[in-house]
Amino acid sequence: MEIMIPVWAQSDAEPIAKRHLSSLRGSRIALVDDNFDMHFTSHLEKLLCDIHGAVVERLIKPLGSAASPKALIEQAAKAEVAIVGIGL
Amino acid sequence: MPETDSLVIDDYEQAIELFYERGWTDGLPVVLPTRRLVDGMLAHCGRDRHESLGVIPPKGGRASIEKLAINAVMGGCRPEHFPIVLAAFEALLAPEHNLNGVSQTTHMCVSLAIVNGPISRELKFNSRDGVFGNGYRSNAAVGRAVRLGLWNLGGAVPWGTDKATLSHPGEYAFCIAEEEEDNPWEPLHIERGCPPGSDAVTVFACEGPQSVECDGTPAEMLHVLADQMCALGNNNVHFGGETLVILNPLNAEDFARGGWSKQDIRHYLWENARRPLNDIRACGAGSERMRKAQLDAGRYLARHVVDNPTTRVPVTSKPEDIHIVVAGGRSYFAAVLPGWGSFGGYAVTAQIKRPGS
Repeated sequence: MEIMIPVWAQSDAEPIAKRHLSSLRGSRIALVDDNFDMHFTSHLEKLLCDIHGAVVERLIKPLGSAASPKALIEQAAKAEVAIVGIGL
Repeated sequence: MPETDSLVIDDYEQAIELFYERGWTDGLPVVLPTRRLVDGMLAHCGRDRHESLGVIPPKGGRASIEKLAINAVMGGCRPEHFPIVLAAFEALLAPEHNLNGVSQTTHMCVSLAIVNGPISRELKFNSRDGVFGNGYRSNAAVGRAVRLGLWNLGGAVPWGTDKATLSHPGEYAFCIAEEEEDNPWEPLHIERGCPPGSDAVTVFACEGPQSVECDGTPAEMLHVLADQMCALGNNNVHFGGETLVILNPLNAEDFARGGWSKQDIRHYLWENARRPLNDIRACGAGSERMRKAQLDAGRYLARHVVDNPTTRVPVTSKPEDIHIVVAGGRSYFAAVLPGWGSFGGYAVTAQIKRPGS
C-alpha cells in the first residue's frame, strides 16, 4: 500500500558553519529582549558591556511569546552573536 | 501532481511501527494515511491540495490542504470531518491566538476546539454527557487531527519545542461541541458574529476542565463559579487574559428561568471573580516580578496598576473575556477552564466552509 508522509521533507541545505569567538571583548552582540523580564535583560546587557567589553545592540520583541518579526531576525543576524531567548 | 512524498509498504504492523520510528505520531497508533484515503478526503473538500492556510509555528511547516488531509486521516477523520479541521487551523493561525506561544509555553494550556452549528448534530459530535470524555468519533477524530497537524507540521513536540511543564491530556485530542438544542441562549458562534444556521469552530487555549459543583439558585451557582475562576494558581488571576465557563443545560435552564442572560452572568462573574491584591502578592516574589515586568513592557492591563492591597482584581480585563458555553449532561456540575493569561491563546472563531458552499 502507498502511505502518504505527514511531514515536510527536511531541507538538504548545508547548515551555515558556526564561528567561535575567542572573546566577547569588542564583539557585536544582538540581545533580543523578549519583553518578559526587562530588569534581568538590562542586568545581562550591563554585564556583557561592563565586564566583558561587548558591544550590545538590544532588539525588543513586541510580544515575548510570539515569533520575532522578520526585520528583527535580520537585524540580529548581522551581529556576531545573538542571544535570542531568556529562560526564567 | 501531488507534492507530498509517499512510501510503499505492504506490512501493516511494520507501517504502524514506522510512524513511531520516524516520530510521525503522538504516542498513539494512527490510521495509516493511504493514498486512497487521503485522495478521498481531498476530493470531498474540493480544495486545491497545494493551497496553504499559512505556516504552523513553532517550526513553520506549511499548512497545505494535502498535509492537513494526511494528518486528518491519521487522526481518524472521515472526509465530512475535514472542513472542520481546516476551519480549526484557520482559527489557530490567527495572530490573536498566538499559536507560537501556546505551543511552546511552560504553561499547560492546549487549544480547545468548540464546534457549533448544524454540522455538529449531523456528524454526531457529543455536546452532552461526558462531553470532554471519550466515546465519540467526531470529537476524538477532529481533536486528534488538529493535534497531529500541530505535531507533524508545527513541530510542537515535548522534549523539543513544546516546553509545557505538565501539559494535560487534551494534547491528544481536545474538541467538544456546544449543546444548542437544550440551550436557552444563542450559541457561542452566533454571539461571536457568525450568521444563524452557519457552522463554526472556536479555538481557545486553556487548562483542562476544573469541576465546579454548581447547583441551587442562580446566586448560589454564581457564588461557586466565581470562587473557582479566581483560584490563585491559575494564570488569569495573575495575568488577565480570557477564561471559559462551561454550564450544563440544566444550569443554563435554571439561569434563564431566573431571568439571567449570558451577558448578565458574565458581568456578575467579572464583578465577583476577583482576588484582593494582597492575596495575589502573597503568591511570592516570582509572580510579582513577572507582573511588574509585564507592566514595564506596557503589556499589563490597567486593572493591575493598583497599589491598594485591598483592591479586588478581576480575572479578565472586561466581562466579554469570560466565554460561556453550554455543554454536558443535565446535572449539577459545571466547569471552569482558565486561559493562558494576557500572553495569548485568545478565542478565535472561524466558519466552516462546507464543500460547494
